[in-house]
Amino acid sequence: MRKLIFKIHLLIALTTGTFLVLLGTTGSIIAFEPELDRLLHPHLSYVSPVSEAPSLGQISDAVSRHFVGEPIVAFLLPSSPDFSAQVVLPSGIVYVNQYTGEILGVRTRGQTFLGLARALHVRLATGDVGKDILKWSAVAMLFSLASGFYLWWPLKRVRIRGAWRHRRFWFDLHHALGIFSLFPLLVLAVTGTIIGFEDQATRLINKQPGSTKLNITQTSTQTEPTPGATPITPDEAVAIARAEMPGTIPYRVQMPRFGGLYRVSLRSSQDRIMSDSNSVAVDPYSGKVISSVGSRDSSIAQRILAVNEAIHTGNVFGIPSRILVSLASITLPLQAFSGLLMWLRRNKILLED
Amino acid sequence: MKRLFPIVLLLTVSASAGDLSGQWSGTFKVDGGDHDIPQIFTLKQSGNVLTGSGGPDTQEQYPIEMGRVDGDRVKFEVTTGEWKFAYDLRQTEPDALKGNLELKSINNSRTAKVSLSKAK
Repeated sequence: MRKLIFKIHLLIALTTGTFLVLLGTTGSIIAFEPELDRLLHPHLSYVSPVSEAPSLGQISDAVSRHFVGEPIVAFLLPSSPDFSAQVVLPSGIVYVNQYTGEILGVRTRGQTFLGLARALHVRLATGDVGKDILKWSAVAMLFSLASGFYLWWPLKRVRIRGAWRHRRFWFDLHHALGIFSLFPLLVLAVTGTIIGFEDQATRLINKQPGSTKLNITQTSTQTEPTPGATPITPDEAVAIARAEMPGTIPYRVQMPRFGGLYRVSLRSSQDRIMSDSNSVAVDPYSGKVISSVGSRDSSIAQRILAVNEAIHTGNVFGIPSRILVSLASITLPLQAFSGLLMWLRRNKILLED
Repeated sequence: MKRLFPIVLLLTVSASAGDLSGQWSGTFKVDGGDHDIPQIFTLKQSGNVLTGSGGPDTQEQYPIEMGRVDGDRVKFEVTTGEWKFAYDLRQTEPDALKGNLELKSINNSRTAKVSLSKAK
């Protein structure tokens, strides 16, 4: 039995090892994607808070002076007083010091290192085939962890002995890392598998009795603008949205030229998992609330999948759980490397010093 | 005669592309994505210039930018927010547009296949 389990463990490692290394490496990077993005662009990302932030109208004026004739698509409001505001234009994203109106710089759209890390993690930076390979690699990882635990059990090694040049060192390292990272990796493999099979999971959850469908409430209908009518300002739209959803903080405002309505996205501190899932659509002429969708309107399937994703990304408990996810992910390439060395030496492909 | 041939060919191809003005609908599917995303466009062609709007339904519409028609080739862009959609289509039939879509945001880039047909 032990021989068979060992062969299964080895077979999984040799067939899916490359993909698991990729998942682990990229996963450890994208767990801190927003922080790394700011680290790579500090001059665009950080400002010194000096006073009360000016209105969206003033930010809009500052951007329009620099980018004459280009319409504003949306405002992205900072989540912290020392982060800059962003203004979305068709040509790129403008970073603005919201206190002084200074234009900090522009970023154009396109693939970057962080985007590539995410694309590799989600779909091997390809299409459907890459996505399928990765979701089945996550399933294989479950079997690898289970078989690894079975193989660890008789010896129960948790200490690393011997010099790094010797087989014993890598044997102990593989066993010790394996047992300490077993639980977090198991959680990542289960949640990753659910993300890979999200469509099937949604159908399964919706079949359960008591599961409800998403119910977006349209409270009003958009009015036709009367000739010469002046639209309300973005600041007025934000005030209307905040009154509609008290206790929330706006983080994004889409302009009506792009989509027909003001769409204000709001963050709720009371709902950690779906904090960003609140939005209010406002008629740009009458100021009427056209629709209001809160995280409370989410279906059971959406909420379960959001919890699953928050666990997988580490967002569920904030920075501590993201550190745990990042550290657990980086053990995957270490485990693959130590396992490969053990296999090569076992087969005398790589001779010991 | 040999010099005239490419010009005649170009004029023939240009003439074969019908007026695109009107309402078009269809879907796109992002490579590696799970779902077909609906698309509705109201196109206005004036010579080689294409304007109008497009979006997921008739209510949520975004302006068409950089619209160009060259023979059977149709190119335009739509900015929906952080994402920019760059369409590169061919008029395969008088009432059909097919081709590729490139979606770009800060950090990310995706590709998709698009298929649109003109409303009768």
